[in-house]
Amino acid sequence: MGKAEILQIVTGFLGSLSFGILFNIRGVRLFWAALAGFFSWSLFLILAFWIPSEPVRYFIVAVTVSIYAEIMARVLKTPTTTFHMTALIPLIPGGSLYYTMASLFGGNLSNFLEKAVYTLELSVSLALGIVLVTAVAHTITRLRKPAAK
Amino acid sequence: MKELLTCAMDIGEQMLVCGAEVHRVEDSIQRMCLSMGAKRVDIFIITSSMVVTVYTPSGEALTQTRRITGTGTNMERLHRLNDLSRKICTSPLGVTEIREEFQKIQETKVYSFGVQCLVCAVIAGAFTLFFGGGLADALVSLCVGALVKLLSKICEKTVTSRIFDKFLCAFAASLLAFIAMRLSLISGVDKVIIGNIMSLIPGIGLTNALRDLFTGDHIAGLIRTIESGLIALVIAAGYFLSAILMGGV
Repeated sequence: MGKAEILQIVTGFLGSLSFGILFNIRGVRLFWAALAGFFSWSLFLILAFWIPSEPVRYFIVAVTVSIYAEIMARVLKTPTTTFHMTALIPLIPGGSLYYTMASLFGGNLSNFLEKAVYTLELSVSLALGIVLVTAVAHTITRLRKPAAK
Repeated sequence: MKELLTCAMDIGEQMLVCGAEVHRVEDSIQRMCLSMGAKRVDIFIITSSMVVTVYTPSGEALTQTRRITGTGTNMERLHRLNDLSRKICTSPLGVTEIREEFQKIQETKVYSFGVQCLVCAVIAGAFTLFFGGGLADALVSLCVGALVKLLSKICEKTVTSRIFDKFLCAFAASLLAFIAMRLSLISGVDKVIIGNIMSLIPGIGLTNALRDLFTGDHIAGLIRTIESGLIALVIAAGYFLSAILMGGV
């Protein structure tokens, strides 16, 4: 792992921590939430050794991070969103969105479409990963204590 | 029962305002109402409206609705609201007790504005480095981040439309980046702008929107998808305007 990757992990963690503060997460929960951002980007970079496709890696990271979120939410008795949001911060396709805009502005239409679809692809991978874990987690909770109906 | 329902509605409404998922709020309200002795509860919630009907043991039906305007993200308050709703489910509290607890939660502290400015500057700087910017880019980005936060604070008080607010922020961030480039502080605007739009773009909004869609809250999901699309558009518009003003990329 090179210098650039280490810098990314450190700044990704800083970014997650800062967003955690903006979202008004406090105390121990802030620490665990920021750590989720650290894990998510580290995992994304490590997976690059085996899986070249970014959307696939996004999906795997989303699944892993969601499992982490579900576990931490139960341990710390707080909504899972707390951990989901901070964990996803480094994965937000900000760069991708910028280059989408820039190519639209530059009038490069085929480039724009390619970038726009790619940005959407990344978001959908993330959402699918989260939905999968959330659905499984809900089913497990339901099985353990049936909702009063 | 009527007052208990009002309490449950208050808690649910605030959970939504603090950024809870629709699913969570529906679940919490249902559990609370059932533990308060309702026979049946019907709930319909989307991000901007809540409708709840409970049937009392005597057969009476009570309905309340709420209009939700403006949501933000306040995890500490959501955490405490969630705790309160769980407490109500396990050991039914009286109306006055719930009101007292609720009032305490409403006074939950937020980080001071100074801290928020600092944090926004750090976000912008950190992500400029993250996306491969140099030290000069990061320093410029840091300053722009703080200024944009200041602007969004002013907008919060004066501009009513959240979308327009995003437009102004994106415009200001890009404009400052272009100015910095003209002053030859930085060699290109891209890294600085990327760092700054990280806190504006609806990445989380879009992810949540897709999540709602896939978990069955279709209407809430659609509303959020449209919102994210619009925000992405106005950010692009803000960038375009400043790029045109400053004479191209």
